[in-house]
Amino acid sequence: MAAPQPRTTPQDDRERFQTLAEEHLNGLFGAALRLTRNRTRAEDLLQETFLRAWRSFRTFQPGTNARAWLYKILMNAYIDSYRKTTREPEVVDHDDVDEFYLYTKVQESDDFRRAGNPEEEVLSRLMDADVKGALDSLPESFRQVVILSDIEGFSYQEIADILSIPIGTVMSRLHRGRRQLQVKLWEYAKRAHYVSADSPPARSGPR
Amino acid sequence: MSEIDCDKVLQLVWQFLDGEMDEVHYKEIEAHVADCAHCEQRVSFERRLRVLIETKCQEGPVPVELKRRLFKFLDS
Repeated sequence: MAAPQPRTTPQDDRERFQTLAEEHLNGLFGAALRLTRNRTRAEDLLQETFLRAWRSFRTFQPGTNARAWLYKILMNAYIDSYRKTTREPEVVDHDDVDEFYLYTKVQESDDFRRAGNPEEEVLSRLMDADVKGALDSLPESFRQVVILSDIEGFSYQEIADILSIPIGTVMSRLHRGRRQLQVKLWEYAKRAHYVSADSPPARSGPR
Repeated sequence: MSEIDCDKVLQLVWQFLDGEMDEVHYKEIEAHVADCAHCEQRVSFERRLRVLIETKCQEGPVPVELKRRLFKFLDS
């Protein structure tokens, strides 16, 4: 059986592939870290992604959405490895939680209101580790769409294509994921607030 | 003032912020939010929260050593 005649030399292909992969490398690595929650596993996932991408690079059409193509391979590789090692945690839905949960909570909180500008207060209290921790705590299916939307900036349709799910499912998971994220962020914000309120005031007393 | 009410605006806030709606609805909500302090405060908080989440979850660039390792398979 004769192999199809390549249009370019293997060396050209390698260079084109590496240029394309490098262009999206930092974003893919960030997504891999958020997905796996572990540096070693993120590096392995990225390696697997590039191996798979290289294997199907000949079928990749230049001019199509390269970024979405790479993220689809990343997500598939992640889901394959994830299914092997872990079980999906139970999805808990917060029926009483709406889109403005965090906003409402800080407005209702005497502690935050005392700060003068409760919205400003809560946003400035949340640290990198809080936000990452809240994201890490989301159930797998929610976490994937929140990462693709809120961190990677893909559209609903792109996410539907990347995960091979209907767009309505994307919206439902994204919205439920964001609500749950706010519940978790409120837990962290309260804790940070009380910790800071408990500590002695830095400048009010005599030095 | 536009016809759309606060409940509708708040219900569609994420689609609005995601830019995932047709232009007519988008403009309606935009006009309502510009005129309504109640909605403006909430929408603006959601927008800032979104930026915060995106910013706090950014990772630094991939270390050179890792990059070299990742593309090593292309050398063979």
